[in-house]
Amino acid sequence: MRVLLVEDDVMIAGGLQTALRQGGFTVDWMRDGQSADAALRNTAFDVVLLDLGLPQLGGLEVLRGMRRRGTATPVIIVTARDEVQSRIAGLDAGADDYIVKPFDLDELMARIRSVLRRAAGRGDPRIRHGELMLDPVTRTVERRGVPVYLSAHEYAVLEALLQRPGAVLSRAQLEDRLYGWDEPIGSNAVEVYIHGLRRKLGSDTIKTLRGVGYFLPKQ
Amino acid sequence: MNSIRTRLLVALVLLVVLVSGVAAFVTYQRVLNETSVLFDYQLRQMALSLRNQVTLAPRIEVPADQGDSDFVVQIWDPFGTRMYLSRPGLPIINQAVLGYADLLLQGEPWRAYGLQTAAGVIQIAQPIRVRERLARAAAVRVMIPLLLLLPAMALAVLWIVGRGLRPLRRLTAEVERRDVRSLEPLVADELPREIEPLVAELNRLLLRLREAFAAQRAFISDAAHELRSPLTALRLQLQLLDRAPDEAARIEARGRLGEAVARAIHLVEQLLALARSDPRDNIGNLEPLDLTAVAAQALADAHELALERQIDLSLDARPNIMVRGERESLRVMIRNLVDNAVRYTPRGGAVQVHGTQTAEGAVLDVMDTGPGIAPADRARVFDRFYRRGASLEGGTGLGLAIVKAIAERHGAQVTLADAPGGGLHVTVKFPLRLV
Repeated sequence: MRVLLVEDDVMIAGGLQTALRQGGFTVDWMRDGQSADAALRNTAFDVVLLDLGLPQLGGLEVLRGMRRRGTATPVIIVTARDEVQSRIAGLDAGADDYIVKPFDLDELMARIRSVLRRAAGRGDPRIRHGELMLDPVTRTVERRGVPVYLSAHEYAVLEALLQRPGAVLSRAQLEDRLYGWDEPIGSNAVEVYIHGLRRKLGSDTIKTLRGVGYFLPKQ
Repeated sequence: MNSIRTRLLVALVLLVVLVSGVAAFVTYQRVLNETSVLFDYQLRQMALSLRNQVTLAPRIEVPADQGDSDFVVQIWDPFGTRMYLSRPGLPIINQAVLGYADLLLQGEPWRAYGLQTAAGVIQIAQPIRVRERLARAAAVRVMIPLLLLLPAMALAVLWIVGRGLRPLRRLTAEVERRDVRSLEPLVADELPREIEPLVAELNRLLLRLREAFAAQRAFISDAAHELRSPLTALRLQLQLLDRAPDEAARIEARGRLGEAVARAIHLVEQLLALARSDPRDNIGNLEPLDLTAVAAQALADAHELALERQIDLSLDARPNIMVRGERESLRVMIRNLVDNAVRYTPRGGAVQVHGTQTAEGAVLDVMDTGPGIAPADRARVFDRFYRRGASLEGGTGLGLAIVKAIAERHGAQVTLADAPGGGLHVTVKFPLRLV
């Protein structure tokens, strides 16, 4: 899962990056509205954490811009502005959730999971697919009720494929989910994770569309 | 005696009593004069009318005493023997004075007229008290209606004053109805001209109070809002410390927690400095100070940050540049100017502080080699919590607001300009004061 963090406070951004990475997210950090806007135009994120009081371009403008372009990526506003009018303005501009600083880290994580769940059109927090069950809260996977132990990257690849069963994800798209801009990408890393997943979950769970990418067959 | 009503009432009563007293006195005097002329004339007429009857003295018919005019008639023959006395038993005038005379008989003043005839002397006399009684009666007649009118006038005064004070009562009721927070101006319609200035001044005071309250509220709200960021950082780091997966992460989280605490402390200190330097407060102990010495202290405080940032920090000022001020606030002001310059100046730059004594007063200049401030933004950078562009972490956005507040307290002016090298040049001009 790739998160865009838009926050001008260096200390808060640093803490949030650490926390999000510990939570298994890939994080890209932008300090001002203009860079955030540019990043949103060029990269597909799974969720955006957006501060409102930003230099150059305000958070609300960034939000309105992406919604005008038709980007449906879930956005959570994370701000010190707690007035009701500000919350209303944020949600009406297209935000999916609104959380006021200082927030609790666990609550923020839960809200991120919640908007991701709704974006995927699910009510049950756990994702079920055939014999598989993935729990984003505990970050665990079970097959026929038996826990399967996955590495963080394997988990991230499986989670990405489970979001939309049937949809084909290219190697580049999967790499996007796994690595931020400043992280080096292993040359055949994705293949390694797919191999690991097939070994642990059964060779026919993840299908290959030769020359295009990988998918989980629809049921 | 502090009620307008009582004062007016007392003044009215005194005035009426005085006026009626004066009127009575004047009337008394005039009536006395007039009756004197009339009675004198009558004395003489009586004497003349008796002239031809002197010889018939024993059988004289003196006109019947008219009421209480108390005339006494005496007639003497040429040898001085009394031939006639109109009312025996009365104190007797034993001397015959010709013409008008004022006599004293047994302590009582009399008026007499003597007429010399061939057959003797005729004298008519009358006690003065008769004339005085008449004058007194006239005076009382003048006084009584005035005194009788007094209660009516008092009632009228009470009514008029009550009516006149009605706008004041309305105003009082209006003020009474208000709660603490409603500082709207009082309605000044239909007020007497005498009260209008009072209401206008009250309204001006209310306006100032309202502005002060609004400023206070805005400050508290801003401050609470600004405290959220360091508190968010604190909470984040605390939670990261709790969930640190290994010792290295724990050590890092602890270090960041310390930084977050330092930042929160810095913000609180800056907020306090700003609150203390409110230009509306009365300035405390003004003492003659050596600006150079204060600047040296401030530079020593900021030295560590400059060293860390590899910035060449220097002070150029002769000793004994005298200003009047509060030592601690001026030190905070210069410290903020220097900190600000150091924070915005790129690594390896320079920050110079100059002090000069001019004919118009002391001047302090702080110049850096940072990016400067665009002329369009120069007014806004003095607003509290305004941050320009990207600065070092931990800036509170209060530095220049504090500088401005302290300068205003000292009657000094702060101006921003471009430094020769393109950085920011801040000038603080102190007023010339006798030290």
